[in-house]
Amino acid sequence: MRKLSLLLSLAVATMLTGCQKAQEAPATIKIGLAGAQTGSDGQIGLSMINGSLVAIDEWNAKGGLLGKQIEPMILDDGAQPQQAVTVAQSLIGSGVAAVIGHFNSGCTIPASRLYNDAKIVEISPGSTNPLYTEQGFPYAFRICGRDDQQGVVIASFLHDQLKLNKIAILDDKTTYGEGLAKVVKKAFEDKGGTVVMFQGIDKNDRDFRANLSIVQGSGAEAFVWGGMYAAGGPLCVQLRQAGLNIPFVSDDGCQDQAFVDTVGGTAQNVFVSFGKDYHNLPAAQPFLAAYQKKFNQPEGAYSVYGYDAANVLFTAIQTAGTTDAEKVSAVMKGQPFDTILGKIEFDAKGDLKQAGYVIWTVKDGKLQELAPTP
Amino acid sequence: MTAQTLIEILINGISRGAMYALVALGYTMVYGVLGMINFAHGEIFMIGMFACVYALGVFSLMWGDHAMVNLTLAMVVAMVFSAAYGYANERIAYRRLRKAHVLAPLTSAIGISTFLQYFIFLTVSKDSVNFPRYYSDWLTNNHLRLGPADVTYLQVTILGLTLVIMGGLYYLINHTRMGIALRATAQDQLMASLVGIPVNRTIAFTFILGSALAAIAGVMFSMYSNVLVFDAGYRVGLKAFTAAILGGIGNIPGAVLGAMILGLTEALTTLQFGSEWNDVTTFGVLMLVLLLRPRGLLGERVADKV
Repeated sequence: MRKLSLLLSLAVATMLTGCQKAQEAPATIKIGLAGAQTGSDGQIGLSMINGSLVAIDEWNAKGGLLGKQIEPMILDDGAQPQQAVTVAQSLIGSGVAAVIGHFNSGCTIPASRLYNDAKIVEISPGSTNPLYTEQGFPYAFRICGRDDQQGVVIASFLHDQLKLNKIAILDDKTTYGEGLAKVVKKAFEDKGGTVVMFQGIDKNDRDFRANLSIVQGSGAEAFVWGGMYAAGGPLCVQLRQAGLNIPFVSDDGCQDQAFVDTVGGTAQNVFVSFGKDYHNLPAAQPFLAAYQKKFNQPEGAYSVYGYDAANVLFTAIQTAGTTDAEKVSAVMKGQPFDTILGKIEFDAKGDLKQAGYVIWTVKDGKLQELAPTP
Repeated sequence: MTAQTLIEILINGISRGAMYALVALGYTMVYGVLGMINFAHGEIFMIGMFACVYALGVFSLMWGDHAMVNLTLAMVVAMVFSAAYGYANERIAYRRLRKAHVLAPLTSAIGISTFLQYFIFLTVSKDSVNFPRYYSDWLTNNHLRLGPADVTYLQVTILGLTLVIMGGLYYLINHTRMGIALRATAQDQLMASLVGIPVNRTIAFTFILGSALAAIAGVMFSMYSNVLVFDAGYRVGLKAFTAAILGGIGNIPGAVLGAMILGLTEALTTLQFGSEWNDVTTFGVLMLVLLLRPRGLLGERVADKV
């Protein structure tokens, strides 16, 4: 009995001291990691978050941020705008110092308004819709390119490199897919080409045969898909099954091994726009190894962006010596950062000063950067 | 627009409609007997897809790649699997609620639906899985010429299966002893049990049959779209449900008619306005039909439901 009471009082004492500490100052810095982890974009979104987790592990092993351990708060927006707003509210409510996310543009944009009002820095590793940084929010950043750059690269590839004049475009009606499709259409028409079909389809639809009948009758010389790989894969297969062997061109949303698995490793005439290939860069090797060790699965296309976003954010917080959004944001816009993808700089809007989109293609069962035409 | 495009659009619309019809038949049958909408039907459909692909894998390991043999057997496995899930749903989630307020089984069904979706998401695959094309190539790559347009064997199969199943169900319900039991149960469960009809078994049979049909639809759909994914049942289920309402829920030929109208509406909308308008036009058609015929096109068979 006496032993028990001793134990109890000890326990109470530790709890009390624990409480005291908590009241003095939070022992950790909370960082929100938000993005799709369920739904058809769940896998690609999760790899982005996993990339950030690798960076958090490394920083914590080095002694943390501003002398405190980093505590990730991982929330799922299911790629749905409404859920993204709820996620943003709960992250703000639990007092995160900054947010890395979201993944889908349709989620990032509505959430960014809340983060801005709460004065929290947000850095998105994967949202490419231009509107995100065009809202004039001082604490919003992205570590990927914009669709008004990406769309032009796709249009130039089709018109200048493949020398085509008639294309058909289909998008998934999301902020991201439709936004990108519109840019491609405009850029292609500005170059003098014709867009013979421009339609959208629900992102959960998997039967595209009615659209493909129209493509078939329209004389299109190439097909552009603005959307994610979950629909893009079956779409590309159905295109081939309909006997259309025209080039299939898509965007960074199809930059995933699952896309290749669906279309087949020997697929011909399939192109995808994305940033430069980092797999062979020496700087990427430690990250790739660490990712493999921690998660034991192939890294998704966006994991390296999640990793870079976290490193840039933490470096900025460390340099600023505070998590105050004003100061962190000033640091981020004021100096260049070293990342796996090279030296990067942010402009006044929070976009990358240089975003190099290149065209990839399916080769030997993988997506690989397309060798420049000799 | 050429005649070829129009004919192709119509063919695609009909096969899309047949796809919806296969799912809608299950919805409408359960409603016909129980007066309850089984929202988990779409998930049973999805489980059928996964069961088939896993069975294909196992069979090819066991005795090699005999495409048609394995595909047929895998379809049977999928039907058995889905039927087991459907039966379990009935036992676990619906049977005890049969006498409860009408909202209770409905809520339970929505719960089961979400549960099954995320169960598959967490345990089987978070990403979409590809249907092994080795097995579907013969069906998807061979064509019948129909005037200027092509129809794939798969589209013919889907349409044929839909019509055969519709006919079979119609016969079962109207011309067999089991059909009498079903109709009696639909009219009055207490009365049926008093005259010696095993009501519990009859209702369980409805679920088992409906779920097996959902599995057939799942296998066809995964071949048709080339992929299977844990939330595939949601959208197809919603469309099939709409089709069942359109044709008059509880009415077997009605479900097929409603599904065909839905499929054709979508295909023609794609041609005329673009597929982004699909939901607007289909639900517009639904509202119009319900305003003019509140019980659906062929009417909800209240007197002898099913």
